[in-house]
Amino acid sequence: MLFDSVPYGLPSYVFSPEWFYGFDSVIESIAIIVSVLLVYYSYKCFKLTKENKYLYFSTAFLSLTFAFIAKIIGTLAIYKPTITRSALGSSIHQTFTSVTPSGINALAFIVYIFFILVGFMILFLIISRLTWKNQRVIALLVYFVFLATWISIVHYQLFYVTSFVLLLLITYSYYRNYREIKNEKAKFVLIAFSILLVSQAFFVFSIYSGIIYVLAELVQLLGFVYLLIPFILIFKKKPK
Amino acid sequence: MIVRRRGRLEIIADILRSIKNKEGKIKPTHLLYKSNLSHAKLKEYVDMLLEKGMIEEQLVKGKKMFLMKDHGYKFLSEFERIKEFSDSFGL
Repeated sequence: MLFDSVPYGLPSYVFSPEWFYGFDSVIESIAIIVSVLLVYYSYKCFKLTKENKYLYFSTAFLSLTFAFIAKIIGTLAIYKPTITRSALGSSIHQTFTSVTPSGINALAFIVYIFFILVGFMILFLIISRLTWKNQRVIALLVYFVFLATWISIVHYQLFYVTSFVLLLLITYSYYRNYREIKNEKAKFVLIAFSILLVSQAFFVFSIYSGIIYVLAELVQLLGFVYLLIPFILIFKKKPK
Repeated sequence: MIVRRRGRLEIIADILRSIKNKEGKIKPTHLLYKSNLSHAKLKEYVDMLLEKGMIEEQLVKGKKMFLMKDHGYKFLSEFERIKEFSDSFGL
């Protein structure tokens, strides 16, 4: 079976210490809530303005939402094997006899890797002001995402290195954006992406220690909370 | 300095903002001056705003004026929120 085992001799893509099982899923759920809010509002902006940049921004965060859902499914398959032994789980198991919690975990993580990279890449394209006119650059980046996903399946750390590089470019663009408009909300967006960048740096080394994984998750949580702040501030502001 | 062309929505928001800044009512000549549009273009936008119910035309002391309606205030407020979202997230 293709997904029966994962690289590095690990039983699954799980780096969390046992006492932290499930807490990471809660953190991912918060990331999903923040992402869904951004998907909803940017799609609303697209419907009102018909400007494609909002649609792409919405797609980027939709991709991140899918990624976090996949990660939750993948980790819960390992954390809660009883789910796979439940009535629904066993009926799935009878239909797909080769499906194991480890298999679900590995497959979910490939989906996770792919959607995280797609999400960050779209975000990078939008804030770099690249349009569909730059077809060759976009084609190259799409190829790069597929390649990175493929290699990341074998070399898991490469995925976090790639997402770190993409986030570094995104954060730099947000730094320039903040310097240009000098607005409090833009500062929060910059801080949020800087924190997410740090979390990716921790994730690179999460394979070596459960504590690093916990730190990475907590820093990621802080990043998404910061991403929510400018959104709340925009909505809290009363019209003049 | 590169001067960026305003989009359709930005023009509409600029027209509405001009009316709002004049306490919700403005003379057509002032609007023409404030909106930075040709007469023909402004007429096109004003007709559209009248049709959408964002502004209304009234005679005040025998002079034609454009008055902002609730729908216009709502649109402007939503536009400014979108603009702020767009600026903050670098869109």
